[in-house]
Amino acid sequence: MPTAEEKFVDVACWSCAAPVVHAQLFCASCGKVQPAHSGADYFEVFGLSRKLAIDTTSLEREFYRLSRRLHPDVYTRASEQEQNWSLRNASLLNDAYRTLKEPIARTEYFLRLEGVEIQEEGKQASDRKNPSRVPDDLLEEVFELNMQLEEMRMTRKTGDDDPDLRQDLLTAKQQFEAQLAETDNFIQQLWQERDEALASNFDFGDQIKQRMVAALDRRRYIRNLVRDVNETLDT
Amino acid sequence: MSYSDKVIDHYNNPRNVGQMDKSSSEVGTGLVGAPECGDVMRLQIKVNPETQVIEEAKFKTFGCGSAIASSSLATEWVKGKTVEEALTIKNTDIVKELALPPVKIHCSVLAEDAIRAAIGDWKKKNGVAETADYVSTVATN
Ligand code: FES
Ligand SMILES: [Zn+2]
Repeated sequence: MPTAEEKFVDVACWSCAAPVVHAQLFCASCGKVQPAHSGADYFEVFGLSRKLAIDTTSLEREFYRLSRRLHPDVYTRASEQEQNWSLRNASLLNDAYRTLKEPIARTEYFLRLEGVEIQEEGKQASDRKNPSRVPDDLLEEVFELNMQLEEMRMTRKTGDDDPDLRQDLLTAKQQFEAQLAETDNFIQQLWQERDEALASNFDFGDQIKQRMVAALDRRRYIRNLVRDVNETLDT
Repeated sequence: MSYSDKVIDHYNNPRNVGQMDKSSSEVGTGLVGAPECGDVMRLQIKVNPETQVIEEAKFKTFGCGSAIASSSLATEWVKGKTVEEALTIKNTDIVKELALPPVKIHCSVLAEDAIRAAIGDWKKKNGVAETADYVSTVATN
């Protein structure tokens, strides 16, 4: 992750001496490949401002365009150094693309980039009010469903298939998948709020970020459930 | 990632898996989760009302091997201790005992949280003052 200083320091293009920022894969004036910083900001790699609502179609287009420009075939006659830079940039570009195209990975990356302190983390266990960071009833639900799943696996082992239990699991699966979708929608809604807050220079960004953290926490529990329900139903 | 022998041992032969009657006044139940990964753990203690000694402990964990080992170890450690003694168990003790790597530290934190939650629940049920007492004793030490 670049420090604030690093990020704003421009360097000169090795070929034409035009200014280049650390995250740039190519010089904007002469087009030559640049030694991009391996910890470069993924948003900057794509020339984007740090907004969460991203048009993934144009992101994809840009990814392919830049990938083509970094293709090894283009550098067969280039210096060894340029060949190395193009390879390194290609892997940076891949990481950036994989992170930004996926909504959850993007949100988590964004929060890390913004240095968001996760609530209560690092505090002494005795000082943390709610270490699980989600409401109790969600925990209870998660735990109960896990118990049911285990029961079903045991029943399966003895060769029986309990149709009632299976029905319960199917219902639970639908319910948890719906919750997952709801959480995802909520996260996207928070993107909008944050991007708008940014545009209007209105400073309640921190509060929105904490709500993002909370939504992501909740999502991890639900995601595990969906995964485990599916595994149990599939076997 | 490779697990230490102690983790594998607890994972293959978890101690004290099970549950006790949640509604009993002698039983404290802690249900906690690790938001880092979404795993959940329930730990229960049964306390002798006269001596405040934890006589029985049970756990059930839906999570990784390190979380299972940490909670298994935690039930072994709290047994025979008084409630106040059990509160001094730190996740770092568990990390040391099980030789957990840095990425698995949160799994041991989960076990410490579960002990605290179980004791908190027992205290609440029995009208014992919350951990504030405990904190102030530690602070004056
Ligand atoms: S990875 Fe979740 S508790 Fe260990
Ligand atoms: Zn140039």
